[in-house]
Amino acid sequence: MRIKKSITTLSAVLLIAAMGFSVVGCQIGQNAEAPANDLTGSLIISGSTTVLPLAQEAAEMFMEIHPNAQVNVQGGGSSVGIRNVSEGVVQIGNSSRGLKDEEKGLGLVEHKIALDVIAVIVNKDAAVTDLTLAQVKDVFQGKITNWKEVGGADQTITVVVRDEASGTREIFDEKVLSKEKPMAGAIESNSNGIVKTKVSSTPGAIGYVSLGYVDETVGMLKFDGIEANVANSVDGKYPVSRFLYMFTKSEPDEISKAYIDYVLSDEFQNDVVAKSYIPMKEAS
Amino acid sequence: MNEELAAAVNTNPTLMEKRAPRSRVKRALLMDRLATLVIFAFSMLAVIVVIFIIGTILKTGLLTALDPAFFAGKPQALRSGGGIGPMIVSSFYLTLLTLLISLPVGVGAGVYMAEYAKKGRLASLLRFGADTLSTVPSIVFGIFGMVLFVIRFGLGYSMLAGALTLTLINLPTILRTTEEAVRSVPDSYREASLGLGASRWQTIKNLVLPSAMSGITTGAILSIGRIIGESAALVYTVGIFVRYAPVSPLDPGAPMAANIWHIYTEGALVKDWLRVANGETAFLLLLILALNLLARLVSWYYEKKLGVTG
Amino acid sequence: MVLFKREYLIEKVLLALAGLSFVSIAIMVIFLAAEAGPALAKVGVKNLFFESTWQPNDGRYGLLVFITGSLLTSIGGMLLGAPPALASAIFLTEISSKRFSKILTGFIELLAGIPSIVFGWIGFTLIVPIIRDKTNTPGVGILAAAMILSMMILPTITSIAADAIRSVPDSYKQASLGLGATRWQTIRRVTLPAAKRGITISVILGLGRAIGETMAVAMVIGPASVFAKSLTTPTHTLTTKILIEMGESWGLHRSALFVMALVLLTISMGLIYSINHFLGKEDY
Repeated sequence: MRIKKSITTLSAVLLIAAMGFSVVGCQIGQNAEAPANDLTGSLIISGSTTVLPLAQEAAEMFMEIHPNAQVNVQGGGSSVGIRNVSEGVVQIGNSSRGLKDEEKGLGLVEHKIALDVIAVIVNKDAAVTDLTLAQVKDVFQGKITNWKEVGGADQTITVVVRDEASGTREIFDEKVLSKEKPMAGAIESNSNGIVKTKVSSTPGAIGYVSLGYVDETVGMLKFDGIEANVANSVDGKYPVSRFLYMFTKSEPDEISKAYIDYVLSDEFQNDVVAKSYIPMKEAS
Repeated sequence: MNEELAAAVNTNPTLMEKRAPRSRVKRALLMDRLATLVIFAFSMLAVIVVIFIIGTILKTGLLTALDPAFFAGKPQALRSGGGIGPMIVSSFYLTLLTLLISLPVGVGAGVYMAEYAKKGRLASLLRFGADTLSTVPSIVFGIFGMVLFVIRFGLGYSMLAGALTLTLINLPTILRTTEEAVRSVPDSYREASLGLGASRWQTIKNLVLPSAMSGITTGAILSIGRIIGESAALVYTVGIFVRYAPVSPLDPGAPMAANIWHIYTEGALVKDWLRVANGETAFLLLLILALNLLARLVSWYYEKKLGVTG
Repeated sequence: MVLFKREYLIEKVLLALAGLSFVSIAIMVIFLAAEAGPALAKVGVKNLFFESTWQPNDGRYGLLVFITGSLLTSIGGMLLGAPPALASAIFLTEISSKRFSKILTGFIELLAGIPSIVFGWIGFTLIVPIIRDKTNTPGVGILAAAMILSMMILPTITSIAADAIRSVPDSYKQASLGLGATRWQTIRRVTLPAAKRGITISVILGLGRAIGETMAVAMVIGPASVFAKSLTTPTHTLTTKILIEMGESWGLHRSALFVMALVLLTISMGLIYSINHFLGKEDY
């Protein structure tokens, strides 16, 4: 009997503790003062790590308006998001690329949410700020291996690129490398964050990231004197940009629709999207 | 076995010559000292590494980790000043959920291996399963959990999918510690109980398991450490970033160790990402140290108070 | 009769629980094989295992780089980690006082409990920058990974080897010491040979741990899908490739990642099988 009792007690303790955590979780998770609203239910989103921060910020602000709605956003990657939404695991799949041919038959509905500018960044030791498109291409393909060849410091170049599955890489290879490949042996990173970290910490490094990631710890390259910014991209002077997407399975359910509408609302587009990306209004 | 010993002695020239020349003895003594010194120096490496790791992590992160605004704070995706409250809740929640599933299974399996399994094909097959399970890399568990629990069972990224995955990882540990603990209970106990007319299961339930409690508890604490520290298996089963703590077992979460990977890959969008990562790593390490201490206290308790070892 | 039935039922339930490990392995093999199937069928064994070019966008899925990377990092970790680990095992069992031995065991248990992600963070924030500055290379790669792995496998090797040495009968040692051999001579000629089997097992299991390690290696390996040009340039391993690309892959690319998982699973089973088969079936 003793052991049975202690197992029962242990289970009870574990259960109570689990419930305790749930309660704590509830308290952390809820804004008590927000106004009541009719929209209820839960919304689960997964996908692109590029879209992740935007989607999370939107979720937060959305839940302030609709306190009875639960929105949970996960990363995983564009392909995971597209797969998950088509399999019904999540209601919205985020992606930093359009659908591949083999994904077009999945019955997904596309919602463009922003235009993303991709900037080329260099380590500050490199001492270069402006290159031609051809020079950038040669650097990424390993034909130029030292910054002094293009007027910078005497410093070996370390090339940082995104992995082959990345939507960012796809657009960069297409627009900057004229659909050719970067050099073999370049460091591959699976996110904007790592590229920025690697470039800022490795002397002589070069890489590319979404504009939202650029800060004072890295130098941003101009292409033929043209800076990567919103105005130049809208004008079409700066060549490297792509759309960000949210996909739903057929037409979205009520809560998904309300969420995507919120993402596309003036409030969110102007206050949040515009800080790091190009709002849809200006992009189209 | 004695032949082995004889062989060892035979191939040993110093042992062969009863009166070794003095220079040889001197050399042997010198070698002895030298070897002892080298072995000592090498074995101190572990101590140095542990102190170095703990020191480095705590130096950069302790102050952040102990700040309530950080450990109870809300995570941020775009702004500075984020905390890790929901990550800590995720870690504990996941630990409890996993133990709830894996303890009964692991203890039951361990009891079977120690009390029922006869030497033979079946037993070695079962053991092969458990041994293999304990060497499978956690990332393989992770994507297996993704395919089976997240997608096939339709659990989505959730605490439950993670707990089931972690159950597979922890099963061999709990099984083995239970089995060893049960085996170390003296046979005389069982014979006495059986002799008094108790059935086999009654004997196990009322006598063997209580005596093996110390070992089982140690195994459970060991498992908690592994669950709290696990990351690779959770990236594709539970999630790596949440703004809110999980409530239902079907909610996604972001256990601390998995969240540190998220910060490493994606965190740089937040200005103070290094502060957050250092703080979270320090908090995680403090928790592991506390668990280690707890394990020590538990085994000390069982040794002193109950006079039961094993 | 009722009692007998109940006893029988309990035994069967416990058997089911004990069988769960084996069943899990079997299900795992089936599921991973099903996911790996398309790549095995369409890319083919030859193009997977005897090719080193990994370019999913061109349909090239050579795995040699990753297999080599896994082997080199874990062998490197072994070369750096096994000697101190075995020395610790000898010290604990044969040289140290009981009291000191307990303290040292405490430290080794502590080391075993430190999570991979913490080792990774140490590697990323400390070891890689040091290597980078000393060698003027990117600093990531096999050397950094091997250094991290050597610390991580030490407890595995030490604890199993120490058990093996402890189980050598005292009479062996006393016979040797009685014949006038020094302590070191006894260790080298009597104790270690007698514990050879256990020591081999400890090294094999350490190797298994090193090959399977994911997070810590992912933060220091580079990564780049090419053979390492030196010990301090980026490369990749099986585990890190799966971790990093699973989220952003689809179709054959995703399937090829499952082939890698299958390779890892085969290695695990192979190691356990070789221990059971070649070294006898005793407990370890």
